Amino acid sequence: MFRTFIFQNFIDWIDRISFLRKRKTRRISFQLLFLGFLGLIIWYFVSKALQLDLGFSHLNSRAGFGLSHTFFIDYSSNDSRWKAYFTGVINTIRICSLGILLTTILGTIMGVARLSSNFLISRISALYIEILRNTPLLVQIVFWQIVFLKLPQISNAITTGGYTAISNRGILIPWIEANPKFDIFFAIVVIAILISIFLKVFLNRREEEKGQKLYSNFIPLIMFFGISLLGLLFTGIPFNWNIPSVAQNEFGTYMQSGGFELSPEFLALLFALVLYTGTFVTEIVRGSIQSLPKGQTEAALALGFSSYQRIILVILPQALRSIIPPLTNQYLNLTKNSSLAVVIAYPDLFMVTRTIINNSGHALPMFFVVLFTYLSLSLIISLIMNLLNRQVTKVRV
Amino acid sequence: MRLINEITRDGFFWIKENLFQSYLNSLMTLLIVVFIGYLFLDFLGFLINADWTVVEVNRRLLLLGRLPLGNEIRGWLILWFSMILISSSIGIWGSPNIKDFLIIFIISLVIFFIFGTLNSIYHILITYLISFSPYFFSKYFLRKKYFELSKRVLIFSWILIIPIFIIILLIGNGPKPNLWGGFLLNIILASVAIVAGFPLGLILGLGRASSFPVIKIASTFYIEVIRGAPLVAWLLLAWFVLPTFLPNLFGLNEVSIVVRAMIVLSIFASAYIAEVIRGGLQSIPKGQLEAADALGLSTIDSTFNIILPQAIRVVIPALVSTFIAMFKDTSLVFILALTDLLQVGRLIPEQEPEFFGRQLEALLVVAFLFWVVSISLSNLSSRLEKAMGIGVR
Repeated sequence: MFRTFIFQNFIDWIDRISFLRKRKTRRISFQLLFLGFLGLIIWYFVSKALQLDLGFSHLNSRAGFGLSHTFFIDYSSNDSRWKAYFTGVINTIRICSLGILLTTILGTIMGVARLSSNFLISRISALYIEILRNTPLLVQIVFWQIVFLKLPQISNAITTGGYTAISNRGILIPWIEANPKFDIFFAIVVIAILISIFLKVFLNRREEEKGQKLYSNFIPLIMFFGISLLGLLFTGIPFNWNIPSVAQNEFGTYMQSGGFELSPEFLALLFALVLYTGTFVTEIVRGSIQSLPKGQTEAALALGFSSYQRIILVILPQALRSIIPPLTNQYLNLTKNSSLAVVIAYPDLFMVTRTIINNSGHALPMFFVVLFTYLSLSLIISLIMNLLNRQVTKVRV
Repeated sequence: MRLINEITRDGFFWIKENLFQSYLNSLMTLLIVVFIGYLFLDFLGFLINADWTVVEVNRRLLLLGRLPLGNEIRGWLILWFSMILISSSIGIWGSPNIKDFLIIFIISLVIFFIFGTLNSIYHILITYLISFSPYFFSKYFLRKKYFELSKRVLIFSWILIIPIFIIILLIGNGPKPNLWGGFLLNIILASVAIVAGFPLGLILGLGRASSFPVIKIASTFYIEVIRGAPLVAWLLLAWFVLPTFLPNLFGLNEVSIVVRAMIVLSIFASAYIAEVIRGGLQSIPKGQLEAADALGLSTIDSTFNIILPQAIRVVIPALVSTFIAMFKDTSLVFILALTDLLQVGRLIPEQEPEFFGRQLEALLVVAFLFWVVSISLSNLSSRLEKAMGIGVR
């Protein structure tokens, strides 16, 4: 069908020449031809790119713009563009890690809920998917931004008895602040974790050998909390509460201080990303659970497991095998989608780069920086998920 | 009386079976009822206080953007043309029931209620006439003899939909691409991305599954790099450096921003479509290829006549969800300062003082329009899935 007359003749003609008849020769020559073609295209693009100003030296000069969110890095507009970029990277990592965590929780709950025998619960989950999956993420980000900006103004912020400050400038929640003694407490907690892990492994092994129940979850947990509590008492409670407050300064303007600040932009982006990606995770979880043979559920029922035990001990561990690969894809999507923060001016990696491009040009090198950063973030996520996948698929079915 | 008794008994039984099986379930049901009730009351409160003048005044902007006055007929023509295609396709391939018609009718009524004016009432009536007549014609009057022919014609016109849209917009001294906007722009960008991205994605998908190492590596590199950066980054790159990379012939390097968006969206779509197609190719059992070899088919023949038809059939649902994703992603052209539907809905309440604080109303209408298109496409995909028996063993 796709062989036209000329093409057929051409192939016949090639067939007559003996050394060209060999499949290997044909394969190699075809690939060489393609390589030459590719080389031409690449040469064209490179020659065009060389007309532009390549190079990253401009990143050392003064940034000259402020960022509304800085985390870990103390950044001011006098710092270099490199520092601005790293601030952006940290903001991206911050939103992505929190987003991935919450998405997983939401998606798992909704996916299990979708298959619930309770009519209302499964309908809610279906409705959630139908509505949120089919509206663009950008619309949702803008929606949540508007919602958070509709909170009361700071002059009548919601304080819930003096512990929080909720206004359209952001949500301040109480936070703990470390004392000097906190390091000792931290060391004790680490030791407690190590001891309980060791205990868990030991008890698990004993359980397998002896075949009797030794409470291998319960005892290490008690151990952990016991040691931590002792440490808490020993150091004399090594942190104090940092409670947010709203006050008027001498000019009559309201100022908020203290606590942990969740800005409207951060919250809007987080809500939109989690709710949007959550729909896809829900579908993945539902599909994986449905693909399990029905006998698994029936066996769990026959063994007299409660519905909680059935889901946690029998269904989810098996479903995890087919959940993880598509889930990784959704995590990568979430990471890339976080670049939409630019629409509500949350200074993530992409927004910082765009500001740098707008200020100084150098679009192509800065694009390579963006590409490289997102590729490395994707690679890290894939690596972690692959490790997890190996752990999950260790036992062959 | 007995009947009523039975119905109530059945109803109670259903409620007990489905909502209150156990204490935990009952608790969950009650909690959800409270939660839903709260959300519903909130939404009701919003609807009561809502002031829809922001949408009423800016209907035209939302749908057509800055399209110059007097060019509305082009928008109508595009709507009519796509309605003819959609309804005759439903007539030929689909088997809708009364419920589907009712839903379509209600949604169209809502849309016309939002966007229609007294001046456009004739156009709306024509739209209904145009939408229903091809369906009835193809369903009841089309001779069996011409069935295959009309299928071919339809497929051909679906492929040609983009050139026809663009001709309708440009013919007779029409508005320049820079002036396209609103929902029209979203539709056009999405269709271009899908129609141009599909063949490219097909080639790349085949390339990635190819046994030639050079082609395989090149395709893989292309796909992974395109998928590596977010779409906004690619659009931003097109905004700044695409003209430098286009050849200096026939003014090609001075393409308008809309065309740049089209190019980037097509390239981006092709990478995702290629991945979907590769998945389909991998799902074909190896025996198929071996059978084709045994029959003496060449590689090209066996690929296009044996492997691809099966592979594409398997991935149609995934393809449609990629199309939906592309349609939703057209809202990202805000980064090129194009006024698509979302930007219009977002900027109007910010720029005109009389609409301050009315962003939610405008945004709700925007979300509704996006939602209607996406949900129809996803419905279509699940129907195709059922009709083709994919996933049923």
